[in-house]
Amino acid sequence: MKMKSDILIVGGGSTGLMISYYLLKKGVRSTIIERKYPGSGNTYKCATGIRASFTSREHIALMKRAIELWSELRDELGVFYERSGYLWLLSREEDLKMFKTYVSFQNELGVPTKVIDLSEVKRLAPTIVTKDLLAAVYDPLAGKASPFDLILRSWQLLVEKGCKVLTGVEVKKILLNKNGVLGVETSAGSIESSTVVLATAYDTVKLLEPLNISIPIKPVPKHAFITEAYRDLFKPLIIDWTTSSYIVQTPHGNFLVGSEISEKYSDKPLSKLKFLHKASKVWVKYFPWMKEVYLLRYWTGYYDMTPDHHPIIGPLDDLEGLYIAAGFSGHGFMMSPSVGEIMADWIIEGRPRVSEALSLSVSRFRKGELIKEVAVFG
Amino acid sequence: MDPEKVIVCRCEDVLLSDVLRAIEKGYRDLESIKRLLRVGMGSCQGRHCLSIIARVLAKATSLRIDELNYPPSRPPLMPIQLKYFVSDEDEE
Repeated sequence: MKMKSDILIVGGGSTGLMISYYLLKKGVRSTIIERKYPGSGNTYKCATGIRASFTSREHIALMKRAIELWSELRDELGVFYERSGYLWLLSREEDLKMFKTYVSFQNELGVPTKVIDLSEVKRLAPTIVTKDLLAAVYDPLAGKASPFDLILRSWQLLVEKGCKVLTGVEVKKILLNKNGVLGVETSAGSIESSTVVLATAYDTVKLLEPLNISIPIKPVPKHAFITEAYRDLFKPLIIDWTTSSYIVQTPHGNFLVGSEISEKYSDKPLSKLKFLHKASKVWVKYFPWMKEVYLLRYWTGYYDMTPDHHPIIGPLDDLEGLYIAAGFSGHGFMMSPSVGEIMADWIIEGRPRVSEALSLSVSRFRKGELIKEVAVFG
Repeated sequence: MDPEKVIVCRCEDVLLSDVLRAIEKGYRDLESIKRLLRVGMGSCQGRHCLSIIARVLAKATSLRIDELNYPPSRPPLMPIQLKYFVSDEDEE
C-alpha cells in the first residue's frame, strides 16, 4: 500500500478521534491509523469522569473549554454526557484544610466547587454510611460521559464525511528528512504525509526513540472492576480521598470501581487479588448493600504519566510537521474535546485558542518550566 | 429463521437483526460491536453470546475468527459477590 494524506493522526483513541473531528470542523479531512480498533488503548478502560476541578491554571482552562464542548458533542453526536457532579469524601482534618485551599483557588477561576456537610452528602448519595466522614467537597460542574458513544459516534461521522480510519494497522516508524516529517511506515505499507500527529499515549516514547527524541512519559498500572447493573442509586462520581478510590454508576446502571494499590512502572499491568480486596472493602463500608452485588469483570490499564502530571500538547519545535498529544496522566478522555480543538488550531492556524495550552509543549521539560499546581490532586 | 426473533445475547436482550444491522453499517470487529450493542457485557461476559456473534460476523465478512478482535476473557471466571472479598482473613 502506498498512500498520501495531508494530515496523519497516529492513534484512534478519544484524543486521535477528537483531533480529526475538530480538523473536520475547519474543513480539513485527516487519516487516522489505529493499531487495533478505535478506543482499544486507554479510552475504553477509563473511569468516564469529567471535571474542571483541578489545581493548576492549565488543567482548569483546558477542562472548562472541554466541558463546553462535551455539551456540544452530546447535541451533535448524541454522546451520553451528564453534569452529575463529583463528590470527594473527606475523613481527615488535614485533608479538609487542604481541600479548602483548592476550593478557593477553583472558585477564583470560575469552577463552582464547595465544601458540603454530611446531610448534603446523604442527599446526593442517599444510601451512603457517613459515620467515618468529616465533610465532603462537591463539584456540580463535573460529570461523566460514555467512552463507547464518543468513540463509535465520532468514528462513524468521520468516515461518513470522507476521513479515513485505518484499523488493525500499526505504525512502525516515523519517516523524516532533514527538514521535517515525510510520513510513516506501517504494517500495511508506507504513507506519505507532511503532518504527523502522535496521539499514542506511552507508545509515543517508543515511536520517538529511534529519532533520538526522548519524552518523559511513564506508564503506571491502574485497576478497575465493574458490577452488574442496578437502578439509579447516586448520580455523582464519588471519590474516597483517604483510600484513593472511586465509584461511579454507568448510564446502564453498573458500578465502575477503582482503587489505588502500590505499583511499579509498567505498560503491561497484571490483575491482582489485592486490588479486589481493597476496592471491595472501601465501597462496602460506605454502601453496605454492595456486599450482595455481583462483580462481573476486572480489567487493568495504565496512566501515561509525565513528571508534572500534565499532558504534552503541541508541535515538536525542532521538527517541522510533527505534533504530540500524549502524557495525559489519567485525564485523556475528559480532556479529549478541547485537546482535539487545540491541536486542530495548532495544525491549521499555528496557535491554540486556549493560551494556557502554550505552556504544555514538550520543550517545558528541557527548559525546566514544569507546570505548577497548588498540590497534586485526583 | 427470522433475525427479528432470534436472541443472540440473553443478558442484554440483543437480536440477530441488531447484529446484522451493525455489520451492514460497516462494523467489522467484535470489540466495537460489543460497545455498540452491549453484547458480552452482561452476567455471562460473552461466554454464551460472543461465539454465536463471531460466527455471524465471520460468515458475513469472510474474515477469520482470529481477525475479528475477539474480546479477551478477564477475571473473575464467574460473577462473584463483593462479600467474598471483604473479610479480613483472606487478604493477600
